[in-house]
Amino acid sequence: MFLHIYMYRLKCILRDKQNVFWTLMFPIILATLFYLAFSNLSNAESFTEIEVGIVDNEELREHPEFTEAVKSVPDLFNVTYTTKENAEKLLEDGEIEGYIHFDDGLKLFVKESGINETIIKSFLDDFLQTSSTISTIISQNPAAVQNGLPDSVFDRTDYLKAVPSGKAEPNTVVNYFYSLIAMACLYGSFSGLKEVLAMQGNLSYQGARVNMAPIHKAKIIIASMSAAVSFQLIAVTALLVYLIAVLRVDFGNQVGYIALTSIVSTITGVTFGTFISSVNRQSEGVKIGILIGSSMIMTFLSGMMYDKMKYIVHTKVPVLSYLNPANLITDSFYALYYFDTHARFFTNIALLCGYSVLFGTLTYLAVRRQRYASI
Amino acid sequence: MQVYKALFKIIHKNLPQITIYIFSFLVVAVIMSNVGSNPANADFSETRVNIAFFSYDDSALSDGLESSLSNITNMIDIPDDREKLQDALFFREVEYIVRVPKGFAEDLMKGKDVKIEKIAVPGSVSEVYLDNVINKYINTAKMYISNMKGLSDKQLTDFVMKDLEQKAEVKLIRKVEEVSKSQKVGYHFNYMAYSLFAVLILGVSTVMLVFNKKDLRNRNLCSPITPKSMNTQLILGNLSYAVLAWLIMIMPSLFMFGSFMFTAKGMFFLINSLVFSLSALCISFLISILVKGPGAISAAANVISLGSSFISGVLVPQELLGSTVLRIGSFTPTYWYVKSNNIIAGMTELTLRNITPVLYNMLIVFGFAVASIAVALVVTKQKRTA
Repeated sequence: MFLHIYMYRLKCILRDKQNVFWTLMFPIILATLFYLAFSNLSNAESFTEIEVGIVDNEELREHPEFTEAVKSVPDLFNVTYTTKENAEKLLEDGEIEGYIHFDDGLKLFVKESGINETIIKSFLDDFLQTSSTISTIISQNPAAVQNGLPDSVFDRTDYLKAVPSGKAEPNTVVNYFYSLIAMACLYGSFSGLKEVLAMQGNLSYQGARVNMAPIHKAKIIIASMSAAVSFQLIAVTALLVYLIAVLRVDFGNQVGYIALTSIVSTITGVTFGTFISSVNRQSEGVKIGILIGSSMIMTFLSGMMYDKMKYIVHTKVPVLSYLNPANLITDSFYALYYFDTHARFFTNIALLCGYSVLFGTLTYLAVRRQRYASI
Repeated sequence: MQVYKALFKIIHKNLPQITIYIFSFLVVAVIMSNVGSNPANADFSETRVNIAFFSYDDSALSDGLESSLSNITNMIDIPDDREKLQDALFFREVEYIVRVPKGFAEDLMKGKDVKIEKIAVPGSVSEVYLDNVINKYINTAKMYISNMKGLSDKQLTDFVMKDLEQKAEVKLIRKVEEVSKSQKVGYHFNYMAYSLFAVLILGVSTVMLVFNKKDLRNRNLCSPITPKSMNTQLILGNLSYAVLAWLIMIMPSLFMFGSFMFTAKGMFFLINSLVFSLSALCISFLISILVKGPGAISAAANVISLGSSFISGVLVPQELLGSTVLRIGSFTPTYWYVKSNNIIAGMTELTLRNITPVLYNMLIVFGFAVASIAVALVVTKQKRTA
């Protein structure tokens, strides 16, 4: 009997084209769009040589030490020596970020305030400050010149030791994909909703008939939910395979834990749907509205539209990040990717299991032993 | 005008779904106009990177480093806890973390090999910038140490700090204020492409699906209204719907940006969006012929409006998109619409030479309208004769 119900429920789900589109196709389409739109995002943050113009005039030639200083940082700038008129034109056309002009002192001309402009300025500051250092030293200790002071100016020691922040690079973009998986898991709630509709006497004719059958309610619930979970698991697996194999999103390499997260999250999504649809008596449209609205809000809070949202919630209202299943799912993937310990991962998984049990029990309590005087 | 009226009755019945998009647009528009509204200065201002600074060294030199960094960065107050720092760096709450070890200044003065720990986003601009700043500070100190014997910690720091007061002069060559204002208007109009497209696809498809229903169509055809009159009314109805949707969408801009919208630049934003609405209307008409049922409408509306927005620079700015993506994006009118908006927003002065590309882009957007209508006509003809 169990298998019979399971098979038929699975067929029902598979034949609902709209449901298949939204749970299986939509996340994959969205993942593709994310990939197209965000693939260049981390490049925008990484450093490339800054285009700088230097006005070649009499005053510049009076300061050979400046040209020397520019030469000492070949990785920082890509320098064009040119006339003032041409520099102005290059700046206006966006070919260079700024130009340096020796005109009664060192001057920098830029078009806007930004980090690249700030780096150019900081280089000029550096030059002026170093000149000041040299003149201070010479005034205090004239012998320094014989000890080779001016020559030692440009060979700098690197006093910084880089420490990696986590197991993997702090690549913000992956979080968008993780919260997308959370969305796909939560869309399992639509299948959950359909299952409840099909077994509740007051919600569908089919439900009314099922209620007449001499079969335990728990058995129906478990069989229907298993069908929904199976389908949703296929959808989430398809998404994961697509993300990993086609789009090459980095998930770390703990395959077992990733599978565990997907299964637990799927069950949470489906039971969330059965819970919402069994505890209120609104029409199907309203229930779908509630599910769409709540999953949108939850994925928003876990950073699907704006990645930093997840951090803001986590630091400002920590309770909310533990109450939000979407955030727990996202955070599980994030923890697997980034952290070297598993404490946070297991907290998330435990909470997700807790919610699944809670939603499942509440669903069962809401649908068991219902009697209808008249439908 | 029965057909015309019937069209608006159908839209009225489906208003809830359509209002969701309008409402979400309003919310985002208001939020965006408040975000990033830091008044742009007419003077150059240094970009301040968010950093976390921890010093376990008790010396004037380390304190000097902290105070000189605090002059050019935003120091974020977070505890030195591994997980909290990892989180903060990942979500760019801080982009650079400095940890000065115990006895740093003393060891440096003794000539020992010393290092400061840094945690940064590898290869990022902020890493390059702050690496230079910090190394510069320590190298300056080192220069004093090796050239002047017997300096105390305090004297050394005083010398370094005095040098750091030297600043280069920076000049901005254009009026930032004006550009930043029109940039904001530009974002607003860019984002409008998403909602407007969705609203038009939803509305037009819902209406046309009803009128194209086989039985209903057959009945309409034997009514005493000529097909010519019916089609004219349908076209008029759809046009009025598009113009109405456009009017509702531009309302918030009139309230938020006020008199700016009545300058020449503002006018170009408005005209550009009107041309885009017409193009979106024609594409919606084509979609309405291709979709099969009401369920498919919301799928099509979502995928097309969201998809074109993603690859055309509505949700992620065009300059951050890869060139392949942009090339795909250029097959949608949204791409050209956004491109025009960005040109208008970036203009310092309005000249014929500046505005010509905008006019060309409008022509392309209009071309999309003509093309989709042509396809739609072919498809309907085939359906009728099939």
